[in-house]
Amino acid sequence: MGTVKKLAKWSKANWLVWAVAVAYIVVAVTRPSSAGKGALLGLQTFGELAATLVTVFVIVGLFQVWVSEEFVMKHLGESSGLKGLAIGAGLGTVIHGPLVGVFPLLKALLTKGARTGVVVAIVSTWAIKLPMIPLELRLFGWKFTLLREGLLFLSAFIMAPLMELILGNDWGTRFRGSIEQE
Amino acid sequence: MTSTDYILLLVTAALVAYSAFRNGARTKKALRIALKQFLNVLPFFIAVFAMIGLFEVLLAPDQIQGWLGSGQGLLAPIYAAVFGGLATGPPAAVFPLGQYLLAQHASVAAVGTLLIAWVAVGTITLPAEIRFFGARFALSRWALALVLSVVLGVVMGWVL
Repeated sequence: MGTVKKLAKWSKANWLVWAVAVAYIVVAVTRPSSAGKGALLGLQTFGELAATLVTVFVIVGLFQVWVSEEFVMKHLGESSGLKGLAIGAGLGTVIHGPLVGVFPLLKALLTKGARTGVVVAIVSTWAIKLPMIPLELRLFGWKFTLLREGLLFLSAFIMAPLMELILGNDWGTRFRGSIEQE
Repeated sequence: MTSTDYILLLVTAALVAYSAFRNGARTKKALRIALKQFLNVLPFFIAVFAMIGLFEVLLAPDQIQGWLGSGQGLLAPIYAAVFGGLATGPPAAVFPLGQYLLAQHASVAAVGTLLIAWVAVGTITLPAEIRFFGARFALSRWALALVLSVVLGVVMGWVL
């Protein structure tokens, strides 16, 4: 019984594992070559990301023990205003790697008292990929590139207040100090 | 691994070393938190990447082509948002498609929307986002990003 309960609890948190397994079985039956190719591509993406994941989690750990709540609250908290959002947008612009890898760090920020909008701003400007800009310039020209990247940056300042409006001001408080249990 | 990865690893190692020098016990605690959280989400991450692989194969850029060509008019940016938001892969994979579509007389609004939705919507990472931040946050952000990608794409079409 204990094992069954444990598995049930694990499956609730990791339901996606089962969903993806089912998806792979369906695809493997209907289009066998696609399933193999997909698995390989996924593995490749994961391999490319492994180093980033390790660094992200180590940084989350260090962040938890060294950065004080007062510091985060002062610069990224409820009263940080436009400056907090701007810091978030800047952070999102320089962040490297896929977004999933950064979620743990964003959650750590929330547990230390960062406001909702800052996290939204980071997620929004994450879409700006600095290393990709030369390629975009070459393919689309500077007008298209500047406009697109500029609008993406601006979107952080549209998304953040909207999300804070939708979720309410106290949404972030549920995360305060909760990281140890995760 | 790219050179950015090596730099990141080096910086992280330096941070850990400095932290250990300042306070060994705290550093141990930090690494324990890191390991525990990493192991906790590892199965989920593996599933996310397996799903990303599947989507990259099943929704390849060349399959999106037919939907976004010229003649789709006002609907094109909306199709673009749906496809861009669902599809996944590095931005480098969608740029050539965008250029091809422009050459085929697709509207700037549609191509702009596609390129923005491709990176900003993140349907594929939605399960992970729900796990970390809850459904209310993830779904609200997803819906807003989807709408915003169309709006920004239309703005681009209007300006250029």
